[in-house]
Amino acid sequence: MSKPTVGIFGLTGCAGDQLVILNCEDRLLDLVALVDIRDFLMASSDNQTECALDIALVEGAVLTKKDADALRAIRKRAKLLVALGSCAVWGGIPAMDRGMDRGPMLEEVYGDAGAGYDSQAAQALHEVVTVDLNITGCPIEKEHFISAIASLLNGDAPLYPKYPVCTECRMRENNCLLIERGLPCCGPITVAGCNARCPELRVPCIGCRGPIGDANPASLLAVMEEKGYNREEIVNRLRMFAPQGAPQ
Amino acid sequence: MKILKLPKEKLDLFASVVQQFGELHAPVEQDGKYVFKRLTRWSDARLEYDRTILPPKKYFLPPQESIFRYRPGEGFVPVTDGLDQRIILFGVHACDVYAMNILDRVFAGKYRDPYYQARRKNIAIIGIDCLPDKNCFCRSMRADFVDHGFDLFFYDTGDYYQALVGTALGDDMVQATGSVFEPMDAAEIDDYKRRSLNKRRAFQLDVEIRDLPEIFEMEYESELWDELGDKCLSCGSCSMVCPTCYCYDVSDDVELGSRAGDRTRSWDSCLFYDHALVGSGENFRGPRASRIKFRFYHKQRGFVAEYGRPSCVGCGRCSNACPVGIDVVQVIDRLRRVEDVASR
Amino acid sequence: MLLADEVASSHPVLADNPYQPHMARIVRIYKMVDNNHLFTLRFMEDSLAHSFRHTPGQFIMLSVPGAGEMPISISSSPSRPEVLELCVRRVGRVTNALYRLRTNDVVGVRGPYGNGYPISEITGNDLLLAAGGLGMAPLRSLLWYALDHRDKFNNITLMYGAKRPEDMLFREELTALVDRTDINCLLTVDADPGGTWRNHVGLLPGLFDHAKIDPLRTYAAVCGPPVVYKFILQRLLELGFPKNHILMSLERRMKCGIGKCGHCSIGYKYTCLQGPIFTYWDAINLPEMI
Repeated sequence: MSKPTVGIFGLTGCAGDQLVILNCEDRLLDLVALVDIRDFLMASSDNQTECALDIALVEGAVLTKKDADALRAIRKRAKLLVALGSCAVWGGIPAMDRGMDRGPMLEEVYGDAGAGYDSQAAQALHEVVTVDLNITGCPIEKEHFISAIASLLNGDAPLYPKYPVCTECRMRENNCLLIERGLPCCGPITVAGCNARCPELRVPCIGCRGPIGDANPASLLAVMEEKGYNREEIVNRLRMFAPQGAPQ
Repeated sequence: MKILKLPKEKLDLFASVVQQFGELHAPVEQDGKYVFKRLTRWSDARLEYDRTILPPKKYFLPPQESIFRYRPGEGFVPVTDGLDQRIILFGVHACDVYAMNILDRVFAGKYRDPYYQARRKNIAIIGIDCLPDKNCFCRSMRADFVDHGFDLFFYDTGDYYQALVGTALGDDMVQATGSVFEPMDAAEIDDYKRRSLNKRRAFQLDVEIRDLPEIFEMEYESELWDELGDKCLSCGSCSMVCPTCYCYDVSDDVELGSRAGDRTRSWDSCLFYDHALVGSGENFRGPRASRIKFRFYHKQRGFVAEYGRPSCVGCGRCSNACPVGIDVVQVIDRLRRVEDVASR
Repeated sequence: MLLADEVASSHPVLADNPYQPHMARIVRIYKMVDNNHLFTLRFMEDSLAHSFRHTPGQFIMLSVPGAGEMPISISSSPSRPEVLELCVRRVGRVTNALYRLRTNDVVGVRGPYGNGYPISEITGNDLLLAAGGLGMAPLRSLLWYALDHRDKFNNITLMYGAKRPEDMLFREELTALVDRTDINCLLTVDADPGGTWRNHVGLLPGLFDHAKIDPLRTYAAVCGPPVVYKFILQRLLELGFPKNHILMSLERRMKCGIGKCGHCSIGYKYTCLQGPIFTYWDAINLPEMI
C-alpha cells in the first residue's frame, strides 16, 4: 500500500511551526517512514506542486490575495487540511490590526507605493476554506504535531485539551501569577496544551494559543481592571493572538 | 486508640527512622506557598503551613495517569507502574485526611478503583493538627477532626507532639523509633482539652450546613447562579485544588505508526463546557450558570444524598484559587440570606 | 498468546480491575439504517461469552482501541445469550472508529452496568413500550425479553415512531410482530414519501388511539429524544399513570460506567449506577434530568 501523501505549506507567518516540524529530529525518520512528504518548500527544493495530497498542513494567516489563492489551491489538492499554529487557526498576531483602516497603514509603511500592495486584513484559514483540524500554538507543540499524524493515519482526529491553561497550571502546582502577584495572566481564557510553560517559569500567559471555545473574557477583563490595569491595554493583550480573545 | 507523646527534640530522630517505611514527602515552601514534595532534607519540611496548593489527592489520583496500554493482539494491559511505591506523607491536615476518607468511599463500593486503592494502601499518612486561618471553615464542615484515615496524627503542644496511633503501620513506626514515645499523663490530657477549645475559638468563618440540601433545592432557580455564571471563567482551578473533586476524563491515544497506545485518565471539572455533553450533541449543562450551580449542588447537596454528608471539607482552597473571587462561604451565606457576612 | 484481560486477573494489585475491557469479536455488522448499524459481538473468552448476563435496559462500556470508550445500551435480550447486540449511531470519535471496523475485528467490552428495568416489579403487569427514533435501541432488549417470557406479562403494547420507514430501527423484525396476537405492535412514521409503508402514518402520540391501556396495571417504558418524552409523558399522565410506573432510559456522558468519573451525575444520582432507567418520579426530583 502506498504511503499517505503530505504537503507542508506556509502563508504569511514566521515559519516557526514548520520549524517545529523540522525540529522533531528524533521522530523525523519515523515520520518519513510512514508518510510521503511531497511538497515542503521550507525543507526541499524538489517538490511536486500539483499532486493530490492526503494531508496538507498549512501555517500562517491569509494576508494577501496571493495567500488566499494559494490556500484555495492547496484545499483542492488535499483530502484533509490542517491549520498549523495560531496564525492559521485564529489569524494570530497579523490579525491584531483587524478593524483598522488599511489604506493609511499601508501608506505609513510603504509611502505612496502602499496603495498598490496586495494586502488585506489577516484572516484565519477557516475564514477562507474549510479546515478539518486545528493545531494551535505559537508555535505548535511538537507532541501535538506527532499525535496529529499518528491519529490521522489511524483515521481519527487527535485529542487536544479544550480546557484553559489554568487547569494545566494548577495540575503542575504552580503559584498563581494572577491571584498572588497580580500579573495580567491570560491563563483563564487561553486554551491549554502547553503545560503552562510560561507560568511555570513565572511569566504570565500572553494567550498565544488562542481562547478556549467557552472563554469568558469579559469577566477576566473586569478582574484585571480591578487590579489596576488599563482597559485598553488588557483588551489589546487578550486579542494579541486571536481577535476572538477579547470581549465584544 | 493509642495516644502517646513525642518530645519535640525527638522529632528529627522519628523522621529519620520513619524513612525505612517509605519515601518521605512533606509540605515544602514554594514562593510563599506550600506544596507536598519529596524531601531531599528533613529540614525542608514545613509542618506549620496554611495549606498546600494541591491537596494530597494528587498522590492517590494523579492529575494524569496511564491506566492501560493497548497492544494489538493482546488487548488492554493494565499499567501498574508506581502503584507499589511506598510513600509517607508527613504533615497532612485534618481536613485533607477527612477528604481522603471521603474519596475512599467514592473509590470503593461495588466497583473498587484498584489504582486508587493500591496507592491508598502503599502511601502512609502522618497527620498534623493546625490552626485555622481566615479561609478555613473545616469546623463548620465537621472536618476539623479525624479519627481514622491516617497512620499517625500529631498535635503540636509546644513541648511535645501528642500522637494518635491510627493503624498497625503507625504503631510499627512508633516502635521502630524506640522508647521515645511515652504515655500521656492526666495533666497533659487536660491540656489537650484546653487547646481543643482554643482551636474552636480561632475559627473566623462559620457556615451552617444543617438543612443546606433543602436550601439548595429551594434556591435552585436563584438568580445568584446566573450572577456566578457571568463571573466564572470555567478555568477549572477550583476543581483541581479541591481535595474531594474526583471527576476524571479518560482518553485513548495511538503511537505514531502503530495501533498501540495508552488509555489515560486525567482530572476533569464539571465547569468545563463538555462535562455533560453527549455524542448526539445534547449538552445537559450547557450554560455556565448551570455548570457552576452543579458544582455547588453536587458538593453541598448531592453528596449528602449519596454519602450522608457534603463532600466539601472547608479547606478554603477553592476560594483562594478562584481568579474572580467566587467564595464558597459567601455563596452559602447568600443562599441562606445571612445578612451581615462580616459579623457572622 | 494470552489476552491481557486474562493475564490481568492474576496480577496481585489489579486483580478484579473494574476498568478492564474484555476483548470481543465483531461477528456481524447489520446496516439497519444509515449511520445506525447493529453490531453483534461475542467475547473471545468462551467462559465469558457463556457467563455474561444482563438485565434489559443495562449498558456496557465499549472500547474501540485507539479511539476510546463509551457507554452503549444493550439491544439484545438476556433470553438470547452468547452474543451481544449493540445498536450504534455514528456520532463521534469512538463510533466513527467502530464504523471503520469489519467483521472479525476486535473491540473491548466491560459491564453490564446500570440498573436495567425493574423486572421483578413489572412482572405480572401490562407493558407499554413507547419509543421514538433511536429510543428503540434500549427498549428492544426489554421487548424480546418480554416476548421470550410471555407468561410473565399480561398485555404488551409497543408504540414506535420514526421519521420515515427507512429510519426505523429493527424494521423487519418489528413489522413481523404486527400480525402477532400476543403483542399489540403499533408502528408509525411521520411521513412515507416512498408510499410503501403498510402501517400507521402520523406522529407517535396518535398511536394511543389504537391501544387499550389500563394505566393502573401498566408499566410504561419510554425512550427517545426529548420531544418524545415531552409528548408521551404528557399523554401518560393524562391517562392517569402513576409517576413511578413510567420508566425512562437516559443518555449521559460517561467515562467509567461505575460511579467514579462524575460525568453522568444528575443532581445526586449517577445515571450509570442508579440509572439509566429512572422513573418519572425521579425525573421530577432530579434537576436537569430531561
